[in-house]
Amino acid sequence: MLRQPLSKALALSPCARLAPVTGRRYAQVQAQPEKVEVFIDDKPVYVLPGTTVLQAAALVGVEIPRFCYHERLAVAGNCRMCLVEVEKSPKPVAACAMPVMKGMRVKTTSDLTRKAREGVMEFLLVNHPLDCPICDQGGECDLQDQSMAFGSDKSRFTDIHFSGKRAVEDKDVGPLIKTVMTRCIHCTRCIRFASEVAGIDDLGTTGRGTDMQVGTYVEKMFLSELSGNVIDLCPVGALTSKPYSFAARPWETRRIDSIDVLDPLGSNIVVATRTNEVLRILPRTNEEINEEWLADKSRFACDGLKRQRLVTPMVADSRGNLTPVEWEDAIVAAAQAIRDCPPEKLVAVAGEMADAEALVSLKDLVNRLGGEHVYTEQSFPLAGAGTDLRSSYLFNTKIANVEESDFVLLIGTNVRFEAPLLNARLRKAFIHKETDVALIGPNVDLTYEYMHVGDSASIVKELASGTSNHEVLKRLQSAKRPVLILGADQLKTPEGAALLAYTQELALKLQGKLEDKEWKVLNVLQRNASQVAALDMGYKPGVTADALKNAKVVYLLGADGGQVTRESLPKDCVVIYQGHHGDRGASIADVVFPGAAYTEKRATFVNAEGRPQQTLVAVTPPGKAREDWKIIRALSEVVGAGLPYDTMDEVRERLADVSPTLVCYGEVQDNNYFAQAQALTQALHCYFAIKRRLISPECIPLLYGALSDEGHPVVVLRAALSDPVSM
Amino acid sequence: MLKVIATTAKTSFSRSLPAFSTCTTRLAGEIDPTCRKEAPKIDSDTVTALPEEAKEKMVYECTICVPTKVDLSPITGVPEEHVKTRRVRIYQPPKNAMQSGTNNIHHWEMEFDNRQRWENPLMGWTSTGDPLSNLKLEFTSPNEAIEHCEKNGWSWYVDVPKIEKEFRPKNYGLNFSWNRRTRVSTK
Amino acid sequence: MLSSLRSGVQSLWRSSSRALQTSSSLRHDSLFVHRDTPEDNSNTPFEFSPENKQRIDALLAIYPEGHKRGAMIPLLDLAQRQNGGWLPIAAMHKVAEILNLPRMRVYEVATFYTMFIRRPIGKYHVQICTTTPCWLQGSDAVLQAIKDTTGCEVGGNSPCGKFSLSEVECLGACVNAPMMQINDDYYEDLSVEDTKKIIEQLKRDEKPTPGPRSGRYASEPLGGLTSLTEEPKGPGFGLQDALKA
Repeated sequence: MLRQPLSKALALSPCARLAPVTGRRYAQVQAQPEKVEVFIDDKPVYVLPGTTVLQAAALVGVEIPRFCYHERLAVAGNCRMCLVEVEKSPKPVAACAMPVMKGMRVKTTSDLTRKAREGVMEFLLVNHPLDCPICDQGGECDLQDQSMAFGSDKSRFTDIHFSGKRAVEDKDVGPLIKTVMTRCIHCTRCIRFASEVAGIDDLGTTGRGTDMQVGTYVEKMFLSELSGNVIDLCPVGALTSKPYSFAARPWETRRIDSIDVLDPLGSNIVVATRTNEVLRILPRTNEEINEEWLADKSRFACDGLKRQRLVTPMVADSRGNLTPVEWEDAIVAAAQAIRDCPPEKLVAVAGEMADAEALVSLKDLVNRLGGEHVYTEQSFPLAGAGTDLRSSYLFNTKIANVEESDFVLLIGTNVRFEAPLLNARLRKAFIHKETDVALIGPNVDLTYEYMHVGDSASIVKELASGTSNHEVLKRLQSAKRPVLILGADQLKTPEGAALLAYTQELALKLQGKLEDKEWKVLNVLQRNASQVAALDMGYKPGVTADALKNAKVVYLLGADGGQVTRESLPKDCVVIYQGHHGDRGASIADVVFPGAAYTEKRATFVNAEGRPQQTLVAVTPPGKAREDWKIIRALSEVVGAGLPYDTMDEVRERLADVSPTLVCYGEVQDNNYFAQAQALTQALHCYFAIKRRLISPECIPLLYGALSDEGHPVVVLRAALSDPVSM
Repeated sequence: MLKVIATTAKTSFSRSLPAFSTCTTRLAGEIDPTCRKEAPKIDSDTVTALPEEAKEKMVYECTICVPTKVDLSPITGVPEEHVKTRRVRIYQPPKNAMQSGTNNIHHWEMEFDNRQRWENPLMGWTSTGDPLSNLKLEFTSPNEAIEHCEKNGWSWYVDVPKIEKEFRPKNYGLNFSWNRRTRVSTK
Repeated sequence: MLSSLRSGVQSLWRSSSRALQTSSSLRHDSLFVHRDTPEDNSNTPFEFSPENKQRIDALLAIYPEGHKRGAMIPLLDLAQRQNGGWLPIAAMHKVAEILNLPRMRVYEVATFYTMFIRRPIGKYHVQICTTTPCWLQGSDAVLQAIKDTTGCEVGGNSPCGKFSLSEVECLGACVNAPMMQINDDYYEDLSVEDTKKIIEQLKRDEKPTPGPRSGRYASEPLGGLTSLTEEPKGPGFGLQDALKA
């Protein structure tokens, strides 16, 4: 009964249903040991020796109940819920830790198994409070569900008259995680997550026997950038989300699958909404990007979606104050300014959360008017190949393949801050695949050990020319699958071009020697969700002071990065701001168009790997706010340069015209022009004189390195959306 | 005019173009509907062709085309607005990150694009003006869902999640291995 | 009379209402979370003495590479001894630092073992056994005597700060019951007078002789040996003549 749906699904969908995880292509090809046959409920299954009973059962669609076992964490074997009967074994065995033996016959529905589960359930419930009605986990609680399915139908618990249930004091682990430790069933998933995935060994068990408790022993915050995941992992209501506490029941919410845009990885998320409000954000499994984790910023920033929003179009009045107006007035005001502006003085700047549809509409509008000045906020060196070759600015190795690497060199990036889930992958590789990591840049805490090569950019030059006598060069050269990750923020300095050039040279040298010709070495880790799409479309990276100096009309598409200020613009320049939050951009604007945030529009975002994904509409934009591309489309009509698309499908066709890769949702196209990019750069090599310059520390967020218990960054994080700058 | 589906057409280009993707996946698995990510667009030649021309074309392509497509939308009484402007997403429901059970996600679902909802001031319940907002149908395969959508005249697309992962045997002993980094926790 | 009636009714009610027998569960007398106090907080300095540092080196040398954390319990014990019988959190941090482990891993061990005492205690830690054999031999009276002479309550320190009293389970000296352990020494075959005398001696910082108070040697029979009284026979005793070379 239990297993039927899965087996049905498996039977119905041939193996070609899902493209194999790309990582597997690189998996080491080693002689596979002979598979052994085991029988799960008399169903034969062939598995590798060493597979656990629980995994073998999963292969034939038999789901064994569990609390402590989690696929992505180490086996603990302490909840005993997965006890199953094995023929010829005198006692039930814990399926999660027991390796299969040849010919083993496992019975997952036998009387003994049932009784074992029932007993375990009874013991777990002895000390579990019956506070489900006031528990936030209620409705999505493993303990609730499993006691329904496997527990006893009656209670023998009368201890309440005598000693009562165990009570444990609650812990204060910060503003994000609410703890009700009496509910804890000691599965230790949170402890294992903290020490294995997050790399913060602050959780543990103290005491013994019935007094054992999970906690931090000392008063301490759980200072991890992945801390929110323990909320998901907790099978009971011991760890729940503080911002979401008592907000909703899971059956009241609607779940919309979407994409996160707060970091460059584009993690897959589920947006839970009720009425017209985003209540919480949960991760959605995507093996190629975020597995099933989510960074705290992405998870908890959703309350920023309700604050400081632009809800109505605004136009600056005679005294320069923005006053709410109707759409028509705002559009007419903006159109007038644009029409009066010579095309070469029209500058468009895209910010870090601009979606591909809006980006293409804006670029088309500017181009139709005869202008060429379309910029992004994040800069990228244009010397040599610049952004012409896609491989120069992408994370070519792909996030999942980082696991297969055997040596990773980070250049000027604090991955833990810039892309927490990439750092989690690096840590996973470090722990499970013995990958070694080296870092050029300030000494930051990455949660795992790494080789600190130095903090000078000239080291990259020495490595590229082979003159370095640092150990890291030998390691790179001997590595079978080396990976270089260059932080995009390093490239905005004057010597960024040189840094990129030498990194490309080094990467190409390494790649040339590899046996695995498919392996990509060079990676640039972008800092935001819009940059790749913008560069794919031909936006120029980094708005220049020259362009701004002569501007007559500046169109800011969510550009809040502080690159454009009133001081950098001429006095009479008209600033049009389109975006969803009242921030730096809106504060200098003459005309404000309220746009939709990422949870409010169906839009395409391309992540650092170059993988386009689309967000879906979870809630409607607040007030008079509209989808971004529609605003630009409407404006174009009034300006007199009507854009040739009226529906989303047509915009996407236009996107496909610009670059077909922008609409292959979920797929990454291979990019292989490393040699060409390097050759183009080489031609300019004489211009590059890289000094013994420090990797600019101001470009590296040291946030996690300089943490103290007092200043939890996540407190700041929650306002992330309303003020991305302070991040 | 008959709209025809060339189920066995030699090349799919003559008939339809999955709207946008020109990526390899489409070419690789034309048979597999999950690789077809968008509702097929009937190209203008096919639509405007006279019946005899279409027939001729069929003969020319040496394929047998069976007019199997049934379009119920004119007779279902569904307002045209909800046929023409709606877009169906066909997907496998994701696992709830809060729970470990996976028993309720081994099917395919369809859902419509999300429209505005608001809180009803009387009782605080959620209201919507969208009659299709609660239509969530379950299917055992994407084929069925696609067929259903086409029958009702909705445009659709398939969203295939990447959930399959590398199989790696779990090992309790790794917690204690003395020379591996897996020995990180005491649990 | 009344009380016996009450207990009779109670037992009747108990047996009729439930089939399971329970006793009220004992809660541990120490906390399993840390509370900062003036004596015990992470800012109090702790440093191993030079002698103990040598001992640490010797201890660490025992454990192979990759298993250095095995030295945690000996190290914690050293720290506890150095610190006058209790283990401050600063010492745990020091041990974590020496073993290069997260602090939590040390807290886990220190809280698990009952012989690591995480609150300030007196110079003399009196552990009185009240498990069945000792109890039958009158440990209650001994316990009362200790309470009277030191002024300690169970689980607390004496007003003078010199003594701490704990009630413990069997310490494995049942033959010599009743017994108590003061720091590392066992005092056995106690009478109330013996106990008082021992405590008085300790109050004057004299060292009472450890061992049985009844005068017997270790756990030999009280009335002298009843067997194995003669000299042990030499090698070859009882061997066949034919085998004697």
